[in-house]
Amino acid sequence: MDNNEAPTFEQDLIRAIFKHLWIKKAQERERNEFPNSEAVDSEVGAGTSKKNRPTSANANANALKQSCELLRVFVTEAVQRAGTIAEAEGSTKIEPTHLERILP
Amino acid sequence: MEIDEDRSDFEKDEEEDDDSVSDLLRDRFRLSAISIAEYEAAKRNGMEISQPIVACIADLAFKYIGQLAKDLELFAHHAGRKSVTMADVIVSAHRNEHLAASLRSFRDELKAKEPQCERKRKKVPRKDDKAIEGIVHIPDL
Repeated sequence: MDNNEAPTFEQDLIRAIFKHLWIKKAQERERNEFPNSEAVDSEVGAGTSKKNRPTSANANANALKQSCELLRVFVTEAVQRAGTIAEAEGSTKIEPTHLERILP
Repeated sequence: MEIDEDRSDFEKDEEEDDDSVSDLLRDRFRLSAISIAEYEAAKRNGMEISQPIVACIADLAFKYIGQLAKDLELFAHHAGRKSVTMADVIVSAHRNEHLAASLRSFRDELKAKEPQCERKRKKVPRKDDKAIEGIVHIPDL
């Protein structure tokens, strides 16, 4: 009634989740590569700028839209597959047992 | 020894912040997943879906997005880019041909809505999809 299209994940949310994960990974990489970075900074300083800078990745707008679509399909598939099993059993409500059957 | 302790406290604070941000994102994600799941269930002759199931699907999807993020970053980095593009998303679905095909059509639809990019190569600007198929003769993914 609100809109004719199916609901989907918001781009902002997916972007926030991606950034959060990517920044976390970049920080881990930084920590792993330079465990003593708090001490001897002056000596190691020259090396850090040349080597792999721990920059985090970014997603472009279309990739975000596609990712939203991908995730929407994931949820839809899960629901539809479980629904198929529920229907086969003649029930009108999707229950945990139906979900169990579709898991890999 | 002292320096190590300080650092681990700082890291602990960071981790706590990190967890609360992560929880907030997961909750927002779960809400969206719930509305999608209920919509899809209703499409099947008005079926209902029990709440624990939806929460379960949402958590599975959240784990999936974690893997997806990692894959996308790797693909982009492998291609020497810092930004993830649609090509990366399509490659990430390569094990499932239907999914990859569906994502490709999605990309084509998006491109069809941006006619200004295609005009550069074409002498005769057209708005059909067929026109775009003519240009895009790339060894596509």
